[in-house]
Amino acid sequence: MSVTPGAAAPGRPRLRVVIAEDAVLLREGLRRVLTDAGLDVTGMAGDADHLLQLVSASRPDVVLTDIRMPPAQSTEGLQAALEIRRRWPGTPVIVLSQHVETEHLFELLAGDPRGIGYVLKERVADIAQFTDAIRRVAAGESVIDPQVVSRLVARPRRDSPLQTLTERELAVLGLMAEGRSNHAIAAQLFMSPKTVETHVGNLFAKLGLLPGAEDHRRVLAVLTYLRG
Amino acid sequence: MNRWLRAALIAGATAAVGCFVWSSWPPQGYVPVEISFAVVGLSFMVAGIAAWQRWPASRLGLLFTIVGYLYLVPVILGNLANPVAWTIGYPAGGIYGAALAQLGLAWPGGRMRSRFERGVIVADYAVNIAFNTAATMFWNPAFSGCNASCPANVLLIRSSRPTWNAINTVEALIGFVITGIVLTLIVRHWRSARGWSRRAMMPLLWIAPAVGAEQILTGNLFHFSATVTYALLPLVLLAGPALFVISTVRARTAGGALGTAIVDLEPGASPGRLKDALARALGDSTLQLAFRQPGGSGYLDTGGQAVDADRPDNGRAVVPIAGSDGAVLVYDEGLELEPQLVKLTAAAASMALEHARLQAEVQAQLEQVRASRARIVEAGDAERRRLERDLHDGAQQRLVMLSLALGMARDRAAGADPELEALITSAGKEAREALTELRELARGIHPAVLTETGLAGAIQALVERSPVAVTITAVPDERFPAAIEATAYFVVSEALANVAKHAMADGAQVTIRGLPGRLVIEVSDDGAGGARAEGGSGLRGLADRVASVGGVLRVDSPPGRGTRLEADLPCP
Repeated sequence: MSVTPGAAAPGRPRLRVVIAEDAVLLREGLRRVLTDAGLDVTGMAGDADHLLQLVSASRPDVVLTDIRMPPAQSTEGLQAALEIRRRWPGTPVIVLSQHVETEHLFELLAGDPRGIGYVLKERVADIAQFTDAIRRVAAGESVIDPQVVSRLVARPRRDSPLQTLTERELAVLGLMAEGRSNHAIAAQLFMSPKTVETHVGNLFAKLGLLPGAEDHRRVLAVLTYLRG
Repeated sequence: MNRWLRAALIAGATAAVGCFVWSSWPPQGYVPVEISFAVVGLSFMVAGIAAWQRWPASRLGLLFTIVGYLYLVPVILGNLANPVAWTIGYPAGGIYGAALAQLGLAWPGGRMRSRFERGVIVADYAVNIAFNTAATMFWNPAFSGCNASCPANVLLIRSSRPTWNAINTVEALIGFVITGIVLTLIVRHWRSARGWSRRAMMPLLWIAPAVGAEQILTGNLFHFSATVTYALLPLVLLAGPALFVISTVRARTAGGALGTAIVDLEPGASPGRLKDALARALGDSTLQLAFRQPGGSGYLDTGGQAVDADRPDNGRAVVPIAGSDGAVLVYDEGLELEPQLVKLTAAAASMALEHARLQAEVQAQLEQVRASRARIVEAGDAERRRLERDLHDGAQQRLVMLSLALGMARDRAAGADPELEALITSAGKEAREALTELRELARGIHPAVLTETGLAGAIQALVERSPVAVTITAVPDERFPAAIEATAYFVVSEALANVAKHAMADGAQVTIRGLPGRLVIEVSDDGAGGARAEGGSGLRGLADRVASVGGVLRVDSPPGRGTRLEADLPCP
């Protein structure tokens, strides 16, 4: 589904967000940006334990967490995200990463990719795009950072069916990998949804993927294909 | 041996043989008999001189010499045709046999072992002298067919061949018994001897029965032709000097074998192996290598047995090993006769122990250097981890915050001031570029994903960013010690960088396998090959890095047939 970026839809309750980020200034900045964008920041945590408490107490619409957090500055945020998904299945979670590498991403997507976002931290600078990502995840879509996807698509390959794709099909593939729906792809590439569907069908056939997968399933299928 | 003695002995032997030839010239009897006499007598004299020279402290030289003179002098006296000389020489003709028995019982140490044995020898001499003297009283020299040229027998009381014969037969019977006793004693000596002494007894064990048989066969119990009795059978006596020759050759051989044993001893051999090698080369199976125990005064040998090095057991002797901090060799006392050999053994042991000590020292130093190198590498790794973390927590966070602030500023400026908005947008882009560059920099310093998720994720990340198509065949999912993971990562990272830079390859393959006790990393490509580990290439640094954890790097890169790089890391 598509939501107008930067403003709350009228007549709908504001999205309730919990933020976990150990750098105080950034945490405050995020709160301001999201509040200004019409989101309701209901809690802020500086570490994973506090985050779990907040989620348990307020059951937010979406959780935003940094991957690296105290005490070990390792993958505490990621572990917390996995824990949240385990305890409250379906809770939308966006992790902020400084890695373009896909290891953490796949850990996160492995269960159910619905309502999962994997966004590079610097993405917060583009406030409109960032809040859009939050809303999409809250709505159950998958959001994968374009830079992560473009790296996967651009990987050198030998004897890969990917080399047989047209430029158009590649663009469609990339957007699919970012978690976009056919509608969103159509809007972004200035095509009709019908054309997008045709492209999707063709490239699925070329890559030997099963056609007709639902949006969130095909994200994982496409990403797995690109990574392999 | 003092040179006057040697001169005297040489002069004596020369004189004896000279006298013998002169006294028997022109040959009155049978030439082979004369030659046999001369050869046997002279050989004992020469063996005597040589044995005296070799073992100055032993009586063996004296005994050989005595046998030689006792063998030859009576014959010379008999030849002289002088009544007194003949009368002394004739009954003394068989006394050398007692001296031979004495030599046999004194072998190899040069001393009689018991009062009983001394008694046997004294009895042998006494029976010999008494019966020969008695027989002489009934022997008319004319019995031997010399007629007119016969010397007079001063002792003659009655010319009676049967009486002479009867006395000689009785003497031969007693001699038979004594020979039997002596042989039995020699066998007992051999049985009770150990180590070097037992080996030294070995040739005597063969020689003694032959000599004993000769003594019995040439006695009055048997009658062969003159050639057999006086020319051929006595040649058996040459076995006596041969005994000396054999023992000398043995000692020489042992000396050479010691050198070979030390050369052949594998580096870092245990003291036990050293002892075995020395014992084998020396021919003393009882050899012990004992070390002074730290603190206490006792010694323990290589088998863990306590050894009293200050008061060795009966039949044992001790020599200290120079420069070994209180190690000693305990050996069979029989070797005291071969001080040169003992010295050589101690020197060989000293050299081997010193070598082992130096080797252990070098090994220990090498171990220290290895450990210190591993520590340096680990410290470097830790420092890089810290740097990466500092960058992440510091500069990267600040840049993210700066980007966020710029984003907010741009939203404020939006619509109100397009020029300002454009300016802020471009500043935001710069900040993002800086973040990307910083992220690459931080990842280059230390791949956080390695510490966070282990090899599998980190290698996947490497492969994803490689400009060459790379396939991962296998990577273990489990975690390994940090130094091993870092090294494995470094190997793959450097190898892939080389593939991208030099190999002109279409693709590469990464395989990491965890085997029992080790981790094997293999990166191969289908490129130009010809990579060399020597020279200033990155491969040198890679080999160093692999060695820092005790691993081995192998590079197989035939020109035109790709490069295969394999690192074998020990991994507990």
